[in-house]
Amino acid sequence: MADSPPTDSRPREDALQAREWLETMTLIRRFEERAGEMYARAKVGGFLHLSIGEEATIVGAARALRDTDYLISTYRSHGHALVRGTPPENVMAELFGKVDGCCRGRGGSMHMFDMARRFMGGYGIVGGNLPIAAGIALASDYTETDEVTLCTFGDGASNQGTFGETLNLAALWSLPVVFMVTNNQFGMGTALGRHSAVTDLQRKGESLGVPGMRCDGMDIRDTYGVVCEAVAKVREERRPVLIEAITYRFRGHSMADPEQYRSKDEVARWRERDPLSVYGRQLMDEGTITAGEIEQLDAQAIARVDGAVEFAEASPFPEPSDLYDDIYVLGESSRGWYSVETTEDREEGSAASGPEPAVNDEIPQQLTSALAAGEDGHEPGDED
Amino acid sequence: MATPAGPRYREALNQALREELTRDERVMLMGEDIGVFGGAFKVTDGLLEEFGEKRIRDTPISENTIVGLGVGAAMTGLRPVVELMTINFALLALDQIVNHAAHIHYMFGGQARVPLVVRMPQGAGHQLGPTHSHCFEAMFLQVPGLLVAVPATAADAKGLLKSAIRDENPVVFIEHESLYGVRGEVPEGEHLVPFGVARTAREGSDVTIVGISRMALTAERAARTLSEDHGVEAEVIDPRTLRPLDLDTILASVRRTNRCVIVEEGWPHGGVGANLAALIGEQAFDDLDAPVARVTGADVPMPYSKPLEDIAYPHEPQVVAAALATLNRTAAV
Amino acid sequence: MSEIIVMPRLSDTMEEGIILRWLRAEGDTIARGEELVEIETDKANMTYESDQSGVLHLIAAEGDSLAVGQPIASVEKAPLGGPEVDGGPVNGAVAPEPAADEAAVETPEPGGEPVTAAARALQAKALAPEPTTPEPQPATPEPAAPEPARPEPEAETERVKASPLARRMAREGGIDLAGLSGSGPGGRIVKADVLGFSPGAPAPAQTAPATQAATAGAGAPQEPAGTAPRAPEEIARAKGETREVELSRLQQTVARRMAESKATIPDFTLLIEIDMEECVTLRSELKRIAGSGEAGEHARPAEKAVPTYNDMVVKAVALALREHPLANGSYRDGKVQLHSRINVGVAVAAEGALVVPTVFDAEEKSLGEIARETRALAGRVRDGSITPPELGGGTFTVSNLGMYGISSFSAIINPPQAAILSVGALAPRAVVRDGQIVARNTMSLTLVSDHRILYGAEAARFLARVRELLQAPAALTL
Repeated sequence: MADSPPTDSRPREDALQAREWLETMTLIRRFEERAGEMYARAKVGGFLHLSIGEEATIVGAARALRDTDYLISTYRSHGHALVRGTPPENVMAELFGKVDGCCRGRGGSMHMFDMARRFMGGYGIVGGNLPIAAGIALASDYTETDEVTLCTFGDGASNQGTFGETLNLAALWSLPVVFMVTNNQFGMGTALGRHSAVTDLQRKGESLGVPGMRCDGMDIRDTYGVVCEAVAKVREERRPVLIEAITYRFRGHSMADPEQYRSKDEVARWRERDPLSVYGRQLMDEGTITAGEIEQLDAQAIARVDGAVEFAEASPFPEPSDLYDDIYVLGESSRGWYSVETTEDREEGSAASGPEPAVNDEIPQQLTSALAAGEDGHEPGDED
Repeated sequence: MATPAGPRYREALNQALREELTRDERVMLMGEDIGVFGGAFKVTDGLLEEFGEKRIRDTPISENTIVGLGVGAAMTGLRPVVELMTINFALLALDQIVNHAAHIHYMFGGQARVPLVVRMPQGAGHQLGPTHSHCFEAMFLQVPGLLVAVPATAADAKGLLKSAIRDENPVVFIEHESLYGVRGEVPEGEHLVPFGVARTAREGSDVTIVGISRMALTAERAARTLSEDHGVEAEVIDPRTLRPLDLDTILASVRRTNRCVIVEEGWPHGGVGANLAALIGEQAFDDLDAPVARVTGADVPMPYSKPLEDIAYPHEPQVVAAALATLNRTAAV
Repeated sequence: MSEIIVMPRLSDTMEEGIILRWLRAEGDTIARGEELVEIETDKANMTYESDQSGVLHLIAAEGDSLAVGQPIASVEKAPLGGPEVDGGPVNGAVAPEPAADEAAVETPEPGGEPVTAAARALQAKALAPEPTTPEPQPATPEPAAPEPARPEPEAETERVKASPLARRMAREGGIDLAGLSGSGPGGRIVKADVLGFSPGAPAPAQTAPATQAATAGAGAPQEPAGTAPRAPEEIARAKGETREVELSRLQQTVARRMAESKATIPDFTLLIEIDMEECVTLRSELKRIAGSGEAGEHARPAEKAVPTYNDMVVKAVALALREHPLANGSYRDGKVQLHSRINVGVAVAAEGALVVPTVFDAEEKSLGEIARETRALAGRVRDGSITPPELGGGTFTVSNLGMYGISSFSAIINPPQAAILSVGALAPRAVVRDGQIVARNTMSLTLVSDHRILYGAEAARFLARVRELLQAPAALTL
């Protein structure tokens, strides 16, 4: 499926990496399945977008990055958080809306984030992450590092205004971004051919100045190889590149999707190319791993996910008093009303009300009295 | 009235940018025509020559993406100042301003900061028609996560812009097209104006007038007329920043004068005045001798024809009349 | 062991679903991930996959409508684990969820209606002892009625148009809004109308408690000393129902200044008894003159004001202050200030407030003038027309609680004044004269002085002079 011919110069994983890849893909798979179950049990609210079937694009791409490179993705963000090392406990807790979630329950499924591991989110707006990716790349260049930013988004996003604007700017300013369009053949419920005039998505950036490549998103090795090549090029030349990863999601766009826009046969065909089973078989054939070890990996992943659910269950919900935390970065010299609390205690009425408002000492005019006369020595006729 | 000495508002902004660019390597500017052209309103004049292309970047016409770049760069260590040519085009960038700049700190649990400044002028009065004459401070004021500055004087423009650049929060910095040429005294040396502190432009005991942006100056002129022609002493307050808001100063004033008029150019529904009137009503109800009055832009798209445009946003006589009305008087002397 | 499969939540808005079609049959062996059932949700028909492996037993039938979370099937686990890990506390309990679960997922009452946690909470609320009738079904949440900040009863029954400021001023000044006419728009009563109010209404009803007697420095009502400590709840209940009364700004200021005075001034107290027989005689003579018309039928009513004993005290004090200027002084910033004028403040109880109008140059005024003035000032205080200049400028204060039968008391100094004189009740008392016990009209005067200005001897001399004047009051008539 890959357009770029496999070359010997393209990097290959060693045995240790191979196990790690399979392990991580399995973790993502089991996590996503369980997340779906939890959603069906109403432990998880809002929308839930699962990456089942797209594991190879996630792991293959992420493993082509250094720790100091940046990864930024979309609302289908659990896998990207997990692949960079965010503990599944914290990701599950975030889904449950608990205090120990990676975003303290503030973001939820669509807004995962892990600054320490340079996973830059997690965004609910289609195409919203592209300009931000370019900005991150700009900062990398500005501070004269050789960092690269990998920006993944879906085929649907390639039609957003930000796609054209960002690729143009990235090409114009020569920004080190690898734009990776995860082409899972559907923009939500609309098939690729029905939403994009140009379906050869790797070519969609050419007119904007960004050259394209393609990889087989169901094949982790191919994905890894192509992304490595792209990342190396971008790191070196400090110019953007577009990669189209052909993949498929086995579940609906989100949990609420009845999938009427595709046939069960089509899904079944793609399931034959399940990246986990395909890669597992490959490794077994090559003698890198045994069937028993694969089962063990799976069991461990399930156990890990079980633990994550327990952790998330046990984690407390945020306190109501936390509602106004972290809207603003406040310092000691912050003054004025930052927020208006329209709930009960409106005593202070702000996150930083600064110095106590001066209590109005004035007594009604007609009863300003000898008391006031004595006060501070103001005799009537003293002022004015 | 003698013309005040001192730099023009736009020059004061230029000074602020220059000083901050010099002081902090991480400060950089992005915007349409800010470099070679020197800025549509000449605010960034000369900066490209002095600081170079890396730090002063001309962008294509892509408002949403330019702001988004600012967001990403701010998250990863830079202090970008993005210029949108006017507030009218900010509508194109609302997604990045609201869903991203304003919310990132909160929705990612405090992990990321967005110390971004988005500068833009607003205002009507040059017959530019409906799409080029907006005043949107109320729209940005609504959004938790943003700070909003509305300086009316050259000194405040400089001091607030410097503070905005040093602030860790995303700031929407609203200038005014008609103020760019106005001169004002600007203190020598390092001049910083803190957010959340209002400027009492004039003291008085009969009525409080709160003026937003250009309307602060209109309010000052109205106060003079009120004093000279009507014997009414108005206290004029320029909040300078809408978020954070120095509500305490406004409330203390209203408690003394018992009357308040709020003057803004924006539309009446959900405007700054509507919000402030509600806050004053909630906090100082028993000190009000009359309902809080608002003088706002007309509830219409800004028309092109001159006589219509003239009556579509507030001028001094309307402010005078509103102040007198709170005293149950009319302007007929 | 069996695991329960519940009606899944398949969209963010789904609350219940209909079993359209079972895709597997009773008794089938099913594996996790296999399609199990078609469900109709609020948005679409969805196919749901089993999340358990084992032998399938159906609970719900096709066509059944069930709330999210209710059991639809059970899966009997194979004794030996299938392809995936068996047992262990997976996915939390499928048995009845604890009530703390935020989601509206609960098992049904046996044989009863399906109840969600939210509905049950609302029911419980409705059944709680409330004066209002319980709501039959979960309706909109109770609107929170904002509690008025002041619990004081509104004086007016009809809706009078008045600005909030005017209302507050009227309330604090004890003025009835109904008696005012409004100059504001639509006849609204505004601040100017309250300020310009002239006398008419009789003294309004009491609104505030206790602070009437604020002149008395001694003992604000306290808990009886010496009781064993009780639990706070006990104490709170023991006092019966508690209603909080907000202090007006004036009351707050009084409170603050009284505390300040007590805390900062090194005061001492001198008590003296005055034989008031001569004053009594003088007063009855003056009364007789006023009543008999000897003043002339053309005399204005004010001229008929008969000096009270307090007026006599004021005059006596004024004369004595002339000779003892320190008692007329002030303490300020480490210095004593002496004043050339003698302005005696006369404490008057107004509505919930202490007010001290001033008799200026009291030593130059005749007793009659003082009488007329104090009467007029008191009247103006009570009807709220007193003005600030009349309330300021005092150099000495006289306070009288004699009308309440108080025999003596120690008032609190009005800083920065040097002293305050408290006047007790005039009454016939047993005294010793020439070795005999006789009944004489006596009255106590208590002088509380600031020791930074007045020392004991000087204060005593001043007080003695006042007594001298009162016991030979002819001098007061000058």
